[in-house]
Amino acid sequence: MIERLRRYFERLMEAIVVVIVVALALIIVAAVIFRLMGNSFSWYDEVASVLLAWLTYYGAALAAAKRAHIGFEGIVEAVPKRWGLFMVVVAEAVVIGFFAILAWTGWEVLQVLAGDTLVSLPQVSVQITQSVIPIGAVLFIAGQLLSLPEVWRRVKAGEKLHSEVPDSLPVEPQDVVAAEIEALHEGKRERRP
Amino acid sequence: MTIALMLFGLFGLILINVPIAVALAAVAVAAMVLTQGTWILPNVALVMYDGATKFPLLAIPMFILAGAIMNATGISARLIAFASALLGFVRGGLSMVNIGASLFFAEISGSAVADVAALGSILIPAMRKKGYPRAFAAAVTSSAATLAVIIPPSIPMILYAVMSDSSVVQLFVAGIVPGLLGGIGMMAMAYWFARRHNYPVEETFQLARLRRTFKEAFWAFALPVIILGGIFGGFVTATEGGGLAVLAALVLGGLVYRELDWKHLKDSVIEGGVQTSVVMLLVAASALVGVYLTEQQLPQQLAQWILSITDNRYAVLGLLNIFFLVIGLFLHSAAAIILVVPIVMPLVNAVGIDPVHFGLVVTLNLGIGQQTPPVASVLITACSIAKANVWEVSKVNIYFIGVLFAVLMLVTYVPAVPMTLVDIFYR
Repeated sequence: MIERLRRYFERLMEAIVVVIVVALALIIVAAVIFRLMGNSFSWYDEVASVLLAWLTYYGAALAAAKRAHIGFEGIVEAVPKRWGLFMVVVAEAVVIGFFAILAWTGWEVLQVLAGDTLVSLPQVSVQITQSVIPIGAVLFIAGQLLSLPEVWRRVKAGEKLHSEVPDSLPVEPQDVVAAEIEALHEGKRERRP
Repeated sequence: MTIALMLFGLFGLILINVPIAVALAAVAVAAMVLTQGTWILPNVALVMYDGATKFPLLAIPMFILAGAIMNATGISARLIAFASALLGFVRGGLSMVNIGASLFFAEISGSAVADVAALGSILIPAMRKKGYPRAFAAAVTSSAATLAVIIPPSIPMILYAVMSDSSVVQLFVAGIVPGLLGGIGMMAMAYWFARRHNYPVEETFQLARLRRTFKEAFWAFALPVIILGGIFGGFVTATEGGGLAVLAALVLGGLVYRELDWKHLKDSVIEGGVQTSVVMLLVAASALVGVYLTEQQLPQQLAQWILSITDNRYAVLGLLNIFFLVIGLFLHSAAAIILVVPIVMPLVNAVGIDPVHFGLVVTLNLGIGQQTPPVASVLITACSIAKANVWEVSKVNIYFIGVLFAVLMLVTYVPAVPMTLVDIFYR
């Protein structure tokens, strides 16, 4: 049940991350082309920086659900189970506590910022760009909670917390590539199916 | 006093597996509230936001994305085919191919883990099939991939440039000579191994084959030349160069090679987005720590304390080298740069070390850190592809780490090695 929810959550966050990354790439490429043609966008730096902040927090929530943030698992894996579970409780409390503070202060700040707009695009309110902090913080907590049962299970079962290679690591099927290299050597070029 | 508590808290949190970014931010918030009261809290949200809007860091997702697209277009196979036609006739040919392909691939991708994943998954099984020992295959792949972090474009260099306020472009240029020296050194080491253990020769040298594979791989070589040329020539910034790399990779994959694998590409975009945000959250958290540290003048105090012991530039470099080597054992390189660089910069400036020179020392040093367990992202990726034991691989890898270390010493104590090109073009 929770595992299924976690997968839906990941799917949604992945979609958001893809949209932001593609938007960033489009904006940067377009800006370079227009600038080299002597016609630069005034809003390019500011908007791209805002998107980077959005990528940071939406992506961080996804990374929380995937447990991909950089950390040091060695001790939790090495100590006796009971201690490991205790460490998990404390660590989760710290993470959730911090993001709860961030969500709350982020929300407070939004009220203060009412009426401010981006410098280069006066029609865009800073409330929209800064909304990523409270929203991102809440999503981070959600991602953390949804992936907690699996962490708990692994520590309880004495398993490694991380599979050592990320599952999305692109690993090509061997024989396809070997055949391709062979073909390149012989001067034939085979298209992949 | 608060600082001692902060450090203690930070280590405690990291040891119980709180993500480093969160540990940093949480400790900084605690320290701010303890010293200034709760009215400071709204600043937390503002700083965490501003800390994530650092424009130059946009180059990171762009280069990751460009590398991912390149990888989804069958470029690794073409690079390997060319390297094999060029170097395959030497004894221990496949290890030469491995190192050579790594050098080429490094000019497209800015990350050593991406390098190891793209090339290792093809070359390690190929080496196994030819009778190379598992541990040797993993060690060569792993160490050669580390060269990716000193050959431009390089993600650790981009991070360093932002954290130390120095020029990305100059860092990129400074990495060229040490990167090539490292490649040559590794090939020599691989050759020595090959002679000693009688590893096989791949194929006889054929000019026709070399020409054929070069023609296929031509655009793969032309791309970095165009992009890096644009950056070095000052036509585009590093970030824009990353954007151009994305565009060029799409054109190359979609129009020239026509082999774009969309599923693979989508997965790579997500993976790249996650990698970027993991690093960026660290950057944002370090901005929070920075606010506190600046107020307490800690980096300046550290500088004064070390300067009261010695103000010899080379002694300080030696100290910093030892420090970074130890840090590299336990920290991921991006985390180490974000954490440590802002703290040591005042010291580095005070003794008159060129920040670009120091950047290369740091990047190379933490590159070695990616090879030394317990925390060794690149080595562990290579080992899991090879299904080899980390310690067994390390026994062989120590020789290749030796090569990296020799390059590090050369870069540290002969500043002309990295800096000559920078001096010629930019000063």
